[in-house]
Amino acid sequence: MIPGVLAALILIPLAGGIASSLVPRRTEGRARDVALVSSGATLGVALWLWVAFDRSRETMQFEFVREWIPGLGTGIHLGVDGLSLPMVLLTALLTFLATIASSKVSDQVRAYFSLLLILEAGLIGVFLALDLVLFYLFWEVVLIPMFFLIGIWGGERRTYASVKFFVYTLSGSLAMLAGIIALFLSTGGKTFDLIAIAPAAAALPVATQTAIFAAFAVALAVKIPIVPFHTWLPDAHVEAPTAVSVLLAGVLLKMGSYGFLRLGPQLLPEGFSQIAPTLALLGVISIVWGAAVALRQTDLKRLVAYSSISHMGYVMLGIASGTAAGMMGASIQMFSHGLIAGMSFLLVGALYERAHTREIEAFGGIVKVAPVLAGTLVFASFASAGLPGLSGFVGEFLVIVGSFPVFAPHAVIAAAAVVITCGYLLWMLREVVFGPLNAQHAEMPEMTGTEAASILPLGAACLAVGIFPQILEGVMRSSLDALVRALGG
Amino acid sequence: MTTLPLMSIIVFAPIVGSVLIALLGRDPRVPRLIALAASTVCLAAAAYAYATYDRVAGGLQFVESAPWIPSLGVRYIVGADGLSLPMLLLTGMVMFTGVLASWNVTSRPREFFALLLLLVTGVFGVFAAIDAFALFFFYEMAVLPMYLLIAIWGSTRKDYSAMKLTLFLFAGSAAILIAICLVFFQVGAGTFDMRVWAEHGFGADFQRWVFLLSFVGFGALVPIWPLHTWSPDGHVAAPTAVSMMHAGVLLKLGAYGIIRFGVTLFPDGFASWATLIAVIGAINVLYGALCALNQTDLKYVIGYSSVSHMGYVLLGLATLNRFGFEGAVFQMFAHGIMTALFFVLVGYVYEKAHTRQIAEISGLMRRTPLVAAAFVIASAASMGMPSTSGFVAELLVYIGLWSLSPLLAGLVFVGVVITAGYLLRMLTRILLGEPSEAVAHLSDPAPVRLVPVGILAITIMVVGIFPSSMYETIRSATGPLLARVMGG
Amino acid sequence: MISPADTLIHLLPEVIVAITGAVVIVADLVWKRPDHVRPGPRPWLAYLGIAGLAAAAVVTVAMAGRSAELFEGLVIIDPLTTFFRLLFLGIAAVVLLVAVDPLPRFTRWDAEFHALVLWCTLGHMLLASAGELFTIFLALQLTSLPLIVLIGYAKRDKRSGEAALKYLLLVLVSTAVLLYGMSFIYGSLGTSTVAEIGDLLAGMTTVEPVLALGLVLLLTGFAFKITAAPFHYWVPDVYQGAPTPVTAFMSVGSKFAGFALALRIIITGLHLPLNWHVIFGVMAALSMTIGNLGAIKQTDIKRLLAYSGIAQAGFLLIGIAALSESGVAALLFYTVAYGLANLAAFAAIIAFAQSTGSTALADYAGLGRRAPLTAFVLTVALLSLAGLPLMAGFVAKFHVFLQATQAGLVWLVAIGVANSVVSLYYYLRIVWQIYVAEGESAPLALPWRSGVAMGVCISGVLILGVYPEPMLTAAAHAASALFGK
Repeated sequence: MIPGVLAALILIPLAGGIASSLVPRRTEGRARDVALVSSGATLGVALWLWVAFDRSRETMQFEFVREWIPGLGTGIHLGVDGLSLPMVLLTALLTFLATIASSKVSDQVRAYFSLLLILEAGLIGVFLALDLVLFYLFWEVVLIPMFFLIGIWGGERRTYASVKFFVYTLSGSLAMLAGIIALFLSTGGKTFDLIAIAPAAAALPVATQTAIFAAFAVALAVKIPIVPFHTWLPDAHVEAPTAVSVLLAGVLLKMGSYGFLRLGPQLLPEGFSQIAPTLALLGVISIVWGAAVALRQTDLKRLVAYSSISHMGYVMLGIASGTAAGMMGASIQMFSHGLIAGMSFLLVGALYERAHTREIEAFGGIVKVAPVLAGTLVFASFASAGLPGLSGFVGEFLVIVGSFPVFAPHAVIAAAAVVITCGYLLWMLREVVFGPLNAQHAEMPEMTGTEAASILPLGAACLAVGIFPQILEGVMRSSLDALVRALGG
Repeated sequence: MTTLPLMSIIVFAPIVGSVLIALLGRDPRVPRLIALAASTVCLAAAAYAYATYDRVAGGLQFVESAPWIPSLGVRYIVGADGLSLPMLLLTGMVMFTGVLASWNVTSRPREFFALLLLLVTGVFGVFAAIDAFALFFFYEMAVLPMYLLIAIWGSTRKDYSAMKLTLFLFAGSAAILIAICLVFFQVGAGTFDMRVWAEHGFGADFQRWVFLLSFVGFGALVPIWPLHTWSPDGHVAAPTAVSMMHAGVLLKLGAYGIIRFGVTLFPDGFASWATLIAVIGAINVLYGALCALNQTDLKYVIGYSSVSHMGYVLLGLATLNRFGFEGAVFQMFAHGIMTALFFVLVGYVYEKAHTRQIAEISGLMRRTPLVAAAFVIASAASMGMPSTSGFVAELLVYIGLWSLSPLLAGLVFVGVVITAGYLLRMLTRILLGEPSEAVAHLSDPAPVRLVPVGILAITIMVVGIFPSSMYETIRSATGPLLARVMGG
Repeated sequence: MISPADTLIHLLPEVIVAITGAVVIVADLVWKRPDHVRPGPRPWLAYLGIAGLAAAAVVTVAMAGRSAELFEGLVIIDPLTTFFRLLFLGIAAVVLLVAVDPLPRFTRWDAEFHALVLWCTLGHMLLASAGELFTIFLALQLTSLPLIVLIGYAKRDKRSGEAALKYLLLVLVSTAVLLYGMSFIYGSLGTSTVAEIGDLLAGMTTVEPVLALGLVLLLTGFAFKITAAPFHYWVPDVYQGAPTPVTAFMSVGSKFAGFALALRIIITGLHLPLNWHVIFGVMAALSMTIGNLGAIKQTDIKRLLAYSGIAQAGFLLIGIAALSESGVAALLFYTVAYGLANLAAFAAIIAFAQSTGSTALADYAGLGRRAPLTAFVLTVALLSLAGLPLMAGFVAKFHVFLQATQAGLVWLVAIGVANSVVSLYYYLRIVWQIYVAEGESAPLALPWRSGVAMGVCISGVLILGVYPEPMLTAAAHAASALFGK
């Protein structure tokens, strides 16, 4: 074991972020190289971690503990377990691919890559932090680079979208802060350490647990986002540049669901159980609502955005079920959605670059001029629709199976909603990929090497997880079992 | 322990500099060098004191005592504890960076720097004084330089603002004077040594009313609502270094005075008014933030945000628990650095673009990426974003508030959202988009102007990420203080 | 029984001042200036006067330790006397010095001017040592008569004449009032020495109406002299009309003489069961408030300082209202602080008027650039009057407020500090004119003698502001003389 490997996971992108902002103005294109090296190194470390991870242990591994503000009972405590490791890997992977996909960025290049890497550092920090204050720190740090990434490099209404994003999530975060403070105070005001505080927290009266967890839930639900806290998401997605959309949908939303796993069952089991039915209900509403609204979208990116809401609804439902299968399904779905959403947004970005529009009606028959591009889009859509053999299937299937014993009606509705998903995806494919060729796009270029480099690894991963889900399952199993046990399951 | 008279060095270095400038400052380049030298000495001494302060032992250290006016019982006593050290350090930093930020003052540089140093002497003196007379003496010393600095070198309604500010300050000091006189005879020991005063058990009624007097007196400077109206005007009118000094340090004088004088001497009186202070603090937070939302002038935004942020200090104190106290003092430091940074930046933009209207500035990020980055850091601190010093302060205040009243804490969260609102509104307009006409020719400032920006921005981050030493320093003072309040 | 020789020695300072006045006149006769020569300044006459004042000061200091009651209590020599003697001598010296340059502008009778200042000072000194009602009366006349002449000295200036006439009427009225008061007191008590009056009053439990009326009238007479409200209405016109050096002289010299006198009478004489705290407190509050409010809207700096002088009299009265030894000590320190600052301010005003011929506030715009040192002195002086630290006025005000608090007069302190705030407003307005307002920029050449006077006074202001201890001790010592018995 290498001590400090987790700190390195945060510090490498952070250092890269600083370094790329220091690139001289004359050679500002170098910033991208710095970002590539730095995010590549981060990915390398994450992969090494994936290999070195002891899959049989359910407790934290590679722990990194340092004093921080001892007087306040908060310290630097990082650790990784089966819940966080996939997320870390996903973050590292998507950031690396997003960096590749950002080759066309020409405006304020240094700032762009710098923010992208700081964003990565913050995201990884969220998944590694095992101290509530530290967790909150990274949680909030993520907002700032995201705000600017949307606000500067975004589309027409970027200012509106970025401010809306910021204010929504900040308001949510404050609820989380309130929850953290309440938890801290009600457990005697001694420590913020997630591991150390857990026994005291789990012993709290039900009402207290429920209140605290409700506060957490608001913050997390905004992040996922669960209907009715979702309205910031389509705006943010539509305005965000492609690579940022990838990270937004691929990783940022997972902060919310990860938070439910991390802060729920083991920390406040009673509170979690009290609120779970509500969460399950909201999850199902998200599934249906997101899919239904996606059906009516005319903008490709908006469609993908609403499909994200729908897909994250499965995650919510799975977590709320509290069963081993449901949780496993939710966890796989988190990872899988990261891959699929990443792919979808990259593809939408590629189309937009070619056509300068995202209107579905403006396309048609692109399979005739750009078969590889079209084929990848079809693949991504199938993955999204939950075609067996692709990662999306495993996650959604397990969620439905796992939640059926607990929330049978919900599970049925969730299963039925797959039909709607298929509906909008197939409709989209028909309009965009097949059908008569739109003359305007007769010259549409084929997928470029760069695009392939950023999109195809995701497709491969999607396929791999779909066929060998045990790659993921093996990592997650022990930790999830512990969660389920904590819930008394 | 050190044998250097650190506190006297800190207090007197600026005034020596001031006299030197008066004597030697004929060449327009000399005053700023002398000012820089004096502020370097102060900053070094303050940093040294901060570094060598024994946090475990706590209490007053570096104490120097000498007779001054024996017939009135006045002694020159200075020293520092966990409450004053952060303030001394803050003042040292703001002064140092303020001098650098004023490097290009071309109008009457001699008078400018001489007055600036005189002002700083007063501020340092207040933070170092243990004798109440000395505290009052130094407090009033800051009045005149402040007036002239704004009246001569200011902008936007400077006459009105300077006079308003000065009179508010002076009126506050009038209340303090009465309080000091009353305490002096109530104690009857013929001394102004506040350590002796603290030993005296004052009656409940006396505590109640004299605390209120000192709260109003020092509070005018905090500024507590509804005595705050001078503050935004003053911020706006003042030249950069003075705005920095003013918002960064002067407001802290008020809060410091409330703690050092009011809370320490009249713990029961303070406790009896805690509800009032909490209400005023909450009004400060919300009212200041709402006003900031409406401003069109950058400096007014920051001016009202100061009103809002100083509300946290009051709220923290009003909680009567350790987190709140710690948060209050931490916020004093954090706000000082953050707001000083804001004013450096706005000062630079105004100097080059000749406007502070938010509507006329945009695209700073393209023209001046470093200034823009610093704006972001300052705003993050202002919003209490984690990894900035503002977060630690606000977190502590929230914890304190929560255990007092979750409802109040919730109300304050609303203030946080409004804060985010006005800051984002400001940031999106001025940083993003295409550069407007006013900023078209701007570029990042010369290194000498970047140094203050760098120092302050880095301090925000360093204190935010490694708050422990600051926190322990503060705790060494707030712990015993809280014990006084709760023990009485 | 004190021998005549001893008596003379005790009165030597007064004698020296009287003789100096005569010497100046004689010297002028001997070295007469031809009538057709256009009159220029004759500084040596002033130096002669100053030398005499210095000699008197030296003698005073040499005899500082000796106390005596001369002429069976008519004249009292004690530390308080010494304190005021030195104060008055110093004031006169500064006035003579600053008057040298402006004198030729309004008169050719410079020797007489000097002599009148000296003799008026003689009156001031006698007032400080008078221990009996009719001695007081005589001393008062000795101060008033030269002043009437001095005020009207600028013959060609109508305002000067008008001021002199006003002052004459005032003197007549206040003298009449005073005489009435004295005769009522003498009539009902049968004695005129202050010490005996005090003893008699101390034994009383009730006050006869006649006696009370007498006391009130006596008090009124002093109030005129010290420019306390509500007997202040003459002050602005007279101050503005009088030649500026005379204004300077009056604003401190004759005001302090009134206080010197009031102290003896009040503290030694008035052991009556009346609430003197309140009487003086109200008087102080009125003076401060009326003076300060009046000063706010003034556009002429002399007039403004006249109002400020009324207000300052109020602050001084706080020291009396405390009716305590330390209160008197505070008052004495205040007189020094105020005297130095006011003289410095007037020296600056005189110097400015010398170059520009104006006392209008508006003309001070840009003074900070035109004459930096004068501007600095004027600023420091005004801020000392406002009571800001580093300057004597801060310690003085603090001291006065402290003692009033001890006496339980918190309400008076509150009014006092509120008034300080108001006063800062108009003092700062002048500072604003000096440093901020745009005005002429041609450098001003100012007479060096004023510079010396300013330098001396402002050094005093600053030294007392930072290290007031010796003066505080001296004031406390002087105050103890009143309470020693």
